[in-house]
Amino acid sequence: MSLTYLSPSWFFGYDVVLELLFAAIALMVSIFAFRIYKATGQKQIRLFGASFACISLAYLIQSLFNYLIISKANEHICRALKIRSIAWFDAVGLYAHILFMTLGLVTLVYMTFKTEKSRILWLLIATSLLGIFLSMNTLYMFFLFSTIYLMFISWHFITNYLQNRQKKTLLIAVAFLFMLFGSVHFLMAVDHRAFYAIGHVLELVAYSLILLNLYLVRKR
Amino acid sequence: MNKKRDHLEIIHDILNTIRRKAGLVRQTHILYKSNLSHQMLVKYVGELIGKGFMIEKEDKKQKKYYELTDKGHQYLNDYKMIRGFVDSYGLG
Repeated sequence: MSLTYLSPSWFFGYDVVLELLFAAIALMVSIFAFRIYKATGQKQIRLFGASFACISLAYLIQSLFNYLIISKANEHICRALKIRSIAWFDAVGLYAHILFMTLGLVTLVYMTFKTEKSRILWLLIATSLLGIFLSMNTLYMFFLFSTIYLMFISWHFITNYLQNRQKKTLLIAVAFLFMLFGSVHFLMAVDHRAFYAIGHVLELVAYSLILLNLYLVRKR
Repeated sequence: MNKKRDHLEIIHDILNTIRRKAGLVRQTHILYKSNLSHQMLVKYVGELIGKGFMIEKEDKKQKKYYELTDKGHQYLNDYKMIRGFVDSYGLG
């Protein structure tokens, strides 16, 4: 099993801040979605809110564990908790990030199917998590699954824009295309670490567009 | 050609019909204004009462009429925002 901290040394710290920012924006979208769900009672909106809550938690965990790694606080925590292996401690963080990000993306894909059959969601969750966690290269498989899911999600938002040509729908379609490109870069980051930083920059553009959309929606 | 109304828009139209009449709206009036079949209207009215958007009352002649709740008023006030969010992500 291959588990590594992918950030290039010159990007240390920036990734932590960016992941924290992504977590905050995803949380804002999630809270807003639940507010809309409360007003409308639409199940699809609840699913959407839950998916962004998972994505937010995934980024929060990633940011926290990356911070612990670069600040070497993970070593102190392991000593205090009498955990023998620091690598094991770091892997817990990575696995938690993978788990919640996968849950978030799978729920978002399921939401785009507009189906009431919950068995499809459970099937997607089970096959994704088994495929990722039983793989010889967990991280690579996670990025591969994420890229495939983001392709489906982007397709949904592009179709949505083509059916409803507005500034807001365009922002979301472009945001998820950037997220897809970011995921492709993470896939390549397993071999070339610079792509990890590029992936973060592409995600920054994506989340900025999502934030701009949220501002436009809230503006009365 | 007009675009087919979605679920949220139909809810908006029904609630707006009641608000315009400031309460005391009978089902026939909603039926006339919301452009729905009787079967669909019964379904929507049941859903809206269940979700707490409106309540069913009876007048002195024991005839039913409908009134908006605070949640119903809130829905109408927030409709533009709800519409914007739902349209952005294709959640309708």
